Amino acid sequence: MTMPADATIHDIGYRRYEGARLGARGAWIALWWQGVRAMFGLGRPAKAKLVPVFVVVVTLLPCLALLAASSASGGQLPIRYGTLLDGRLILFVLFAAAQVPEVLSRDQQHRILPLILTRDVTRLQYASARLAAVCTAMLFVALSPLLLLYVGEIGVATDPAAAFREMGHTLGALLLHGTLTAWVIGSLGAALASFTSRRAYATASIIGTFLVAAAIATGLDDLAGVSVRAAELLDPIRALRTMGYVLFEETTRGMELNPPPSLWVYSALLTGIGAAAAVGLVLRIRRMSV
Amino acid sequence: MTALDALTVTVEPGITGLVGANGAGKSTLVKILLGLVEPSAGEAQVMGHDVVRDRAAIRALVGYMPEHDCLAPDVSASEFVAFLARCSGLPPAACRERAAEVLRHVGLFEERYRPMGGYSTGMAQRVKLAQALVHDPRILILDEPTNGLDPAGRDEMLALIVRTGREFGISVLVSSHLLGELERICDGVVLIESGRLIRAERLGALTGETGTLVVEIDGDAASFCSALLAAGLTVRAEHARILVDLRDAANTEALQQIHDCVRDVAVAADVGVLRLVRSRSSLEDLFAGAVV
Repeated sequence: MTMPADATIHDIGYRRYEGARLGARGAWIALWWQGVRAMFGLGRPAKAKLVPVFVVVVTLLPCLALLAASSASGGQLPIRYGTLLDGRLILFVLFAAAQVPEVLSRDQQHRILPLILTRDVTRLQYASARLAAVCTAMLFVALSPLLLLYVGEIGVATDPAAAFREMGHTLGALLLHGTLTAWVIGSLGAALASFTSRRAYATASIIGTFLVAAAIATGLDDLAGVSVRAAELLDPIRALRTMGYVLFEETTRGMELNPPPSLWVYSALLTGIGAAAAVGLVLRIRRMSV
Repeated sequence: MTALDALTVTVEPGITGLVGANGAGKSTLVKILLGLVEPSAGEAQVMGHDVVRDRAAIRALVGYMPEHDCLAPDVSASEFVAFLARCSGLPPAACRERAAEVLRHVGLFEERYRPMGGYSTGMAQRVKLAQALVHDPRILILDEPTNGLDPAGRDEMLALIVRTGREFGISVLVSSHLLGELERICDGVVLIESGRLIRAERLGALTGETGTLVVEIDGDAASFCSALLAAGLTVRAEHARILVDLRDAANTEALQQIHDCVRDVAVAADVGVLRLVRSRSSLEDLFAGAVV
């Protein structure tokens, strides 16, 4: 930049702000959007984008491959969404474990919370905006590859209109499953992360909780002789997995032997787990001393 | 544990110092005013708004600079300050503009685009001040703003506070355990100790002339002292200085007589008077008096 020789920087001093103030709503949206960006490492150094990019790529690639296969066979090869979901639920847990602390532990770690809470943000608004941010990002990660696949599958079919009539109801199933996945993993992750200011502890506690739940469910099933369907209700990941199979009307050998309960049971259970975690998060943020 | 006990104080507009040793309750008082901590008993008002019931009304009026580090190391100052402006409900475009403006006001120019992890203590303190100003508050609450700064940085920060307080009509409540610096910038001072109010006064009243006349002479202080005693004055020697008690002097005439008396004794004893001045108390003296 060239400047004339006599150029000076004029100190205009402090100026009043007379413009609009959006109040608590504007603040809530800011907190939410900053949280969503943090979940994907946006506006952060490249290192912060590692896990989000990995998860998005790994969830997206199989969908693209399936789409290519489906396209090559002219839509003759039906896509099994339940089976597809089965393998990737653990990825969503990893994504939550790696990224949720960015949204909930970081403000505690760097003690930014007092700055936020002395502005147009109450503790309840803070907790809800952060929870919404986590769930929004989780929903995007969980749903977008499948939606892409779904749209693609209809697109590559020889007769898209007929394909849509045939699998129109799948869209609702996809949305329901994606929402519940985001709600359960997001809420649990957010609640757990809010309890510590250390990112590593938060990550470990999220992975640990899902592992312990899985271990208990397996233990009850294998050792205590509790029915596999009852036991897996304790493990959100297995509950989501079985619910996926039921939703997309696919069956596994295990399900033929032990028919799963109705979708209502799963929906109520998963909604309840997420809600309990959300209440835990709000209580924690309320009582946190800053 | 009681951090604040039976503390009643009114802070006038202008720059006010909140003074106390570490653990005196400064930060607790500040947090109550900000609504970060709810008082277990009693009440507090900020510009007529109750801190518990009208918290929302207070938030737009107050800017807070905490004592502790509160900066995210991996974002830039301009991004950080703009984000906090949005948390105060300013529209996004206005936030970026205000952030750039206040950062320039506190003296951060090109550095504001760099991640804050690499900032010096001085720069970090400036960012903390900028974020407190970004939403254009009417009151600034600064908790130990000069903490960790070197003397030059301290002076710059104090100058910045004075400019903000005087030129732009923002009232400032600044806490510190360093009295010397508050003496330089404050209009009034609130002195607390162990959660109790010691004094709250305008600075002029606190550091006004005291009832002591300081005399410094070129000669034998001890014999001069006894000569003054013989002349009927209440005196005591302090190192090379002689302190004459003026508290008995009811009016200017009586004061004048004491001055004349000192002069006559000096002439009689044939010693040179180096200095003859009414002592002014400093905040340090007040504080020392308060603690014991």
